[in-house]
Amino acid sequence: MAKYLLLLAALMCAGVANADNSKAHEPTLLGDDGFKQPLTKLKFNPGLDQREFERSSLTALNVYDPLESWNRRVYHFNYRFDQWVFLPVVNGYTYVTPSFLRTGVSNFFNNLGDVPNLLNSLLQLKGHRSLETTGRLLLNTTVGIAGLWDPATAMGLPRQSEDFGQTLGFYGVPGGAYVVLPIFGPSNLRDTAGLLVDYTAESQINFLNVSEVSSNHPEIWALRAVDKRYQTSFRYGQMNSPFEYEKVRYIYTESRKLQIAE
Amino acid sequence: MLRSLRCAALLGSLFLSASALAVDIDQASYGYPLTNPFEATIATTPPDLRPKLPTDDEINQSDYTLNMRPEREFSLPDNFWAVKKLTYRIAKQDRAAPLIFLIAGTGARYDSSLNEYLKKLYYQAGYHVVQLSSPTSFDFIASASRFATPGISQEDAEDMYRVMQAVRAQNASLPVTDFYLTGYSLGALDAAFVSKLDETRRSFNFKKVLLLNPPVNLYTSITNLDKLVQTEVKGINNTTTFYELVLNKLTRYFQQKGYIDLNDALLYDFQQSKQHLTNEQMAMLIGTSFRFSAADIAFTSDLINRRGLIIPPKYPITEGTSLTPFLKRALQCDFDCYLTEQVIPMWRARSDGGSLLQLVDQVSLYALKDYLHASPKIAVMHNADDVILGPGDLGFLRKTFGDRLTVYPLGGHCGNLNYRVNADAMLEFFRG
Repeated sequence: MAKYLLLLAALMCAGVANADNSKAHEPTLLGDDGFKQPLTKLKFNPGLDQREFERSSLTALNVYDPLESWNRRVYHFNYRFDQWVFLPVVNGYTYVTPSFLRTGVSNFFNNLGDVPNLLNSLLQLKGHRSLETTGRLLLNTTVGIAGLWDPATAMGLPRQSEDFGQTLGFYGVPGGAYVVLPIFGPSNLRDTAGLLVDYTAESQINFLNVSEVSSNHPEIWALRAVDKRYQTSFRYGQMNSPFEYEKVRYIYTESRKLQIAE
Repeated sequence: MLRSLRCAALLGSLFLSASALAVDIDQASYGYPLTNPFEATIATTPPDLRPKLPTDDEINQSDYTLNMRPEREFSLPDNFWAVKKLTYRIAKQDRAAPLIFLIAGTGARYDSSLNEYLKKLYYQAGYHVVQLSSPTSFDFIASASRFATPGISQEDAEDMYRVMQAVRAQNASLPVTDFYLTGYSLGALDAAFVSKLDETRRSFNFKKVLLLNPPVNLYTSITNLDKLVQTEVKGINNTTTFYELVLNKLTRYFQQKGYIDLNDALLYDFQQSKQHLTNEQMAMLIGTSFRFSAADIAFTSDLINRRGLIIPPKYPITEGTSLTPFLKRALQCDFDCYLTEQVIPMWRARSDGGSLLQLVDQVSLYALKDYLHASPKIAVMHNADDVILGPGDLGFLRKTFGDRLTVYPLGGHCGNLNYRVNADAMLEFFRG
């Protein structure tokens, strides 16, 4: 018995990295007043002088942003445009349309968006995802009546967005300089190029004849823009910080990395 | 079993002297699934255990602005144009109804997720709901705070009271039967001070006031929060910072899942997965979020008061000016630094000196002990494993509030507010 214990102890010492050195499993110390003292469950660094928060945050602030001054102005322009034009229009839109109609509109445009999703999945040689997106397109365009309904999601084929920026990133193209696009918001050089490619591809494919029709009917573009804003939950000022620009920049950069890696 | 008996006996003997005992919810019958306080704080309640709430579409609500400090129009730099006026949100019933004010927690705006949740809960129960930013929130400091140095609870409450009066004036035609008040976290402390102020000013005559997870000793709370970024986190090394560590875990989680799906259950699912965070990592994450709040407060307060600690007083700022160097400086300042560098000097200058202990006494719940003890309209809900409390704080609440205190065994900091059982209790308190 003792031998085994010794062996176990030796093993645990050897694998410091694997050993559970946290205090998570220590018994809860109940105070006289019933207080559970959650901080006693944590292992603190002995001197309480670690600068990891500062190190992480300062490193995170290193985003390549040579156009910062310009970008900030565009950011403020977007903020104002959003508050004074975009959101009031979206609010009007939600006011005059019933909920099922808005969902239908969103589904319709999302179905159109599945075409570039499919193309980019194919370009990234993601077989499984391409099949799923093809399934979505077939199902939603037929059973879902030109995409107004989204039976595919209900059947376990969730929407998986892929754009050309992600495809470029997949093949190792770096993001390049951070750019804030007017109206569109945060982007970078690579993703801006991707946006153009996706747009061109979409108008060339002319799926469901929408691109052709909307060249004569700009109101379709307007509806698409309003729907896009309606579907985007981000609100300026939401981060409630004088440093919102920096935070958005970091989150955009990291979330793009995450989308590319995934 | 023996252990709990012993505890019960101990508790019983301890508080027999008090007139009434606090309501202690038994862990077994409570049914809250998250036993880890840090997990509860971050992930909150799993979606199927939350109450059924109306969607935003079903609520008649809009945002209004108040011009509380007109001089800030000129004293604040241009790129703060969005916070020169204070925004709040009001949800109106279509008939005469009681009105409830919600005060957000540390650094949080009127539309913080907890405030939105509380709005839906109370709106559904038939209240008009007014959502207010915390006095420590960036927009509130910039647009409604007289001294722009939040932390002195009494002064914060005065600022808040003016805002509430302005809200009432702006919606004068709204038929209101009674006024109620609630707040969570630091907002609960503010609510207590606002309620005290209302006893003399009498604008609202609050019928009932509910404090959700308030700090008891403000200094203990900020010390605890500052300390959270000092945990020893495994996996951090010269090439991997803490954020990268968390993001890598998140990436692997999504890769295993097969697609990105951002929803209410994300954090809960994530913690159930192989990539889950350890206690230390979660503590670091909570601490990080509070450090960013501290940085925002320290910067905004310094900027408005032109103290020159973070940003030079006459530094020209336009919409194109990079604030990153100042963020870098502000990030070095935690709550303790903000307190010693900005709050205490201002407080000393305004109150003929005084020690840190006196300040702590003045800004914590201690200052209101007699009032809280004698006011049957005020109640508290707290958790036994809340990270913002220190030893003895629950004892203070037990003594002060008696049976108006409810102690939940689990939930961390505000993690169980959106649990069905808590939601029912929160509605029941105002109903009764």
